[in-house]
Amino acid sequence: MHSLDTVVDLSRWQFAATVLYHFIFVPLTLGLSMLLATIETVYVITGRAIYRQMTLFWSKLFAINFALGVATGLTMEFQFGTNWSTYSHYVGDIFGAPLAIEGLMAFFLESTMVGLMLFGWGKLSRGKHLLVTYMVALGSNLSALWILIANGYMQSPVGSTFNPATMRMELTSFSNLVFNPDAQAKFVHTSIAGYLTAAMFVLGISAFYMLRKRHIELAKRSFRVAALFGIFASIAVICLGDALGFINGADQPTKLAAMEGLWKTAPAPAGFNLIAWPNQAEQKNEFELQIPYLLTPLVTHSFTESIPGVDALEKQAAQRIRNGIPALVALKTLREHPNDAAALAQFNAHKADLGYARLVQRYAPDVSNATGAQIQKAAADSIPPVAPVFWSFRIMVAAAFLMLGFLILAVNYSLRGTIVDKRWFLKVAPWMIPVPFIANEAGWLVAELGRQPWTVYEQLPTWISASTHSVGYMIFSLTGFVLLYSIFIVIEMYLMVKYIRLGPDDDGHGATESATQPRVSQWSEA
Amino acid sequence: MKSVLQFIFWLLVAFVALFLAIVLGERGAWYLAWVLGTVMIILIAVAGTVMLDARYEDDPLE
Repeated sequence: MHSLDTVVDLSRWQFAATVLYHFIFVPLTLGLSMLLATIETVYVITGRAIYRQMTLFWSKLFAINFALGVATGLTMEFQFGTNWSTYSHYVGDIFGAPLAIEGLMAFFLESTMVGLMLFGWGKLSRGKHLLVTYMVALGSNLSALWILIANGYMQSPVGSTFNPATMRMELTSFSNLVFNPDAQAKFVHTSIAGYLTAAMFVLGISAFYMLRKRHIELAKRSFRVAALFGIFASIAVICLGDALGFINGADQPTKLAAMEGLWKTAPAPAGFNLIAWPNQAEQKNEFELQIPYLLTPLVTHSFTESIPGVDALEKQAAQRIRNGIPALVALKTLREHPNDAAALAQFNAHKADLGYARLVQRYAPDVSNATGAQIQKAAADSIPPVAPVFWSFRIMVAAAFLMLGFLILAVNYSLRGTIVDKRWFLKVAPWMIPVPFIANEAGWLVAELGRQPWTVYEQLPTWISASTHSVGYMIFSLTGFVLLYSIFIVIEMYLMVKYIRLGPDDDGHGATESATQPRVSQWSEA
Repeated sequence: MKSVLQFIFWLLVAFVALFLAIVLGERGAWYLAWVLGTVMIILIAVAGTVMLDARYEDDPLE
């Protein structure tokens, strides 16, 4: 059992490490592709050469990021099969389709269009090239859509049912899977967070140029576009975060309780823990700074709805474990005697809580003999790790509001045309580049740690989902991934810094036009 | 002939847009919000940039 736990933990570490690395690149790709399309639209409308130069420069940085994003994403999909084979068998019927479509989107639509975008200058008309750039942006975001539909299923499994004959989940409604409210809200939140990431990235680099008095024309204009693009993205990402919290609050009360450090069910309207130090062992906050009455309207959009705390959720979990045990016992009978009508009836009566029974199987392999203490221990497992979820959530929210404040100032200075004179602001801007990346990683931690102890919420526990590799194999592959991906990060940083230092003048396309050059005929061939 | 083909093309685009709006508005409200929100963000960023560019083009102080 200890070896199995270690393999599961190492599999989780490996997946978390690869996703956290991958998720450094993805939001920038999602956002920068849209921002590139925006800048190129301005080029096509105005015909000013400076906007062509801007598009070329930022697409160079986009290409570096895109290449490393694809490289780090490839291994993740293979990990479902290599490290999570039980999971893949159990939900492959549902999970496989969106994952395959994601691959098609990423490798056929997105990658083909990226090639045309980067090498199509001078070969395509301006209108056609703009269309290609929009297709890159659409392809990137649709690729994210399908992976988030797959993730949405893990968070809120809809459109499927467990088939006792095949011992796996099977798809019953593809449209329910695609229009899963969790997937919808998560996609929009993630995609717009990418827009915000790209805006902060472009703002930071443009500020760096203005501070150094280099490429001023390009920097000023890039700053303006990014500030306008970013301010709306910033407002949208905060609103959508609230929407996602509302959906999660209803679908995943355990995640909500962890996010808010809510140990006891408080009468409505409950207070919001601004800062707290959660102690999971004793199920209390060691210290908390609370804003009264705020939590209930924030997460339920009402003043009267009660929010269940950890105490109530553990009691519910214990009850559901007890209710699910007959389903698991019946399943064992059905495995040996598939036509046993009594066992099938017993299974159908208790199948809603089958997943919960699997939680206690960790401590009592023969669940029919599970003791009260074992059930209680399994019920305690149904609560995710509170402190990391609580703090990740607060880091994400604080970063979002910090960026909103920064962008309000950026837009203000841009509209007034005084940005070049605001030296202090230009000095701060490059230091703001890591903020959206930190927020993105923190957001991923909230979503995935908050789903624990499940790989598929209330259906399949994490402890049962992993492959049966040896500990040595897992340590070896984890070390390999961390080393390889660290090298990727170093390469990304090196290439980014190199091309940022070189600036737009040495772009190999001869695009060194100044802003004062005459306009090109609007719809002429490039 | 070219104008007729262009008209038919944009008519088809309008039909697709309407179809998407109806289907997404009914079942995928957040997806529709993404489409509308993204279009709005791009339009405002483009319009604002073009406007500011025109404004500061004639302003030697900026």
